Amino acid sequence: MYAMDRLSQLFGDIASLWSKSASTYFAGMGNTLLLAVIGTLLGCVIGFVCGILQTIPVAKNDRAVKKGLLGILRAIIRVYIEVFRGTPMMLQAVFIYFGLPYFTNNAMRFRNLWVVSILVVSINTGAYMAESVRGGILSVDRGQAEGAKAIGMNHFQTMTSVILPQALRNIMPQIGNNFIINVKDTSVMFIIGFTEFFSVHKAITGATYKYFPSAAIEMLGYLTVTLTASLLLRAMEKRMDGKGSYELVKGDPLISTAGTYNYPDKGSPYDEQNREHACETEEERR
Amino acid sequence: MSEAILRVEHLSKSFGKREILRDIDFSVHPGDVTSIIGASGSGKSTLLRCINLLELPTSGRILYHNEDMTSGRGNVAAYRAKVGMVFQSFNLFNNMTVLENCTVGQIHVLKKKKEAARETAMRYLDRVGMAPYANARPQQISGGQKQRVAIARALAMQPEILLFDEPTSALDPEMVGEVLNAMRLLAQDGMTMLVVTHEMAFARDVSNRVVYMNRGVICEDGTPEQIFGNPQKPETREFLARFIKG
Repeated sequence: MYAMDRLSQLFGDIASLWSKSASTYFAGMGNTLLLAVIGTLLGCVIGFVCGILQTIPVAKNDRAVKKGLLGILRAIIRVYIEVFRGTPMMLQAVFIYFGLPYFTNNAMRFRNLWVVSILVVSINTGAYMAESVRGGILSVDRGQAEGAKAIGMNHFQTMTSVILPQALRNIMPQIGNNFIINVKDTSVMFIIGFTEFFSVHKAITGATYKYFPSAAIEMLGYLTVTLTASLLLRAMEKRMDGKGSYELVKGDPLISTAGTYNYPDKGSPYDEQNREHACETEEERR
Repeated sequence: MSEAILRVEHLSKSFGKREILRDIDFSVHPGDVTSIIGASGSGKSTLLRCINLLELPTSGRILYHNEDMTSGRGNVAAYRAKVGMVFQSFNLFNNMTVLENCTVGQIHVLKKKKEAARETAMRYLDRVGMAPYANARPQQISGGQKQRVAIARALAMQPEILLFDEPTSALDPEMVGEVLNAMRLLAQDGMTMLVVTHEMAFARDVSNRVVYMNRGVICEDGTPEQIFGNPQKPETREFLARFIKG
């Protein structure tokens, strides 16, 4: 019963680690969650701004200034997206953390690790979200914007009232994805000394050498959080879809006009119902 | 004759090298119910989309009460609010209820108070028989009902003229009637309407003017009696004969 032995040993180790360091683990997870939540939210804001700027339509008769400005903005956004999507977040953290004092000759430095971490996670998430938002906006049927324009709404009103709410709903799964990725990937912030869930593991095992039991705790910790997040996100999506049924507004004297229309041309050569849906099909049947 | 609400002058539209509309001249007077008929691809829908500037004309002018809307200086949004449009594919806002669909424009474009917008919306929903469904979402109602809501949404903006772009073409046959009926009632109330349609019975009985379009030009233009009873151009005769023969 070697396996049973190892298992009971593992549970024992986990129990002893937990009784001694539970609060440390919790504190680490707290930081991880806070960083992931703030980073994802700010990333969404950045993503929405970039996504919207990228999808502003340019008409042929727009003024040259508007065209030029939009062109420059789009170029900047493209570069931003490609750079921050194309490099590891761990490297971005190091780059920014050490870049500031380097370029200001140590006159400026990040005194608060939270500031750098939030900055890096938001900017990184923003680069991914910008593309998601762009896709989300493109996924909304063109007729929706035309419907809004046809009642006189301007581009801004069309976006905020009609397109973005639908785009947001469409990209909710991707926002969830990004959040879950952030919960896990904020672990790379240990590189600049930020205390999160994974860095706690390093600290604790450095003193206890119980690598595997601590790793098991970490696995369970991350899984618990990401599974909970998945469930919450699903619930949120369901809420956004609205109620499955609706209540009829009662007390209205006017009854539905459905089916009350009589074709005045029944049987006449002008009866398009007849032409389209009776004659032709009957002829075809013969 | 009263002054025209809308005048289209020498309007042309090309997509790339393809010329869709050529030198269209055309005006709409208050109370007119004009049906635009013609084969698919004759430019009917494009004409309508040019009129409310969803497509920019390549050349020519669109005058709304003598104000040139194609110059780029006019207030396009305010103009569109006055020129309602009903689409073939309804284009109801999927993220809103039926009622919200009819209030959002009033609140944002006409700057009305929520309560007043609601009242107006309910009045027009009632008129098309959709008031009971005010709390439904577009996904929960049928095609014919959607199109009636779309008509109410356009009406709630209290437009001067209403454009219909093949409003029944995307509907199942049993739902065509309810939409045509709503349009018939509107016409009786004196609404100015411009209707692109394949419903010849509607064109003949409800409109007071019929425009036959062929290959991007207005081929024949007259009263329903003239167009259906005594068409002058061979193209018109041929088109109508095809429709009648089935």
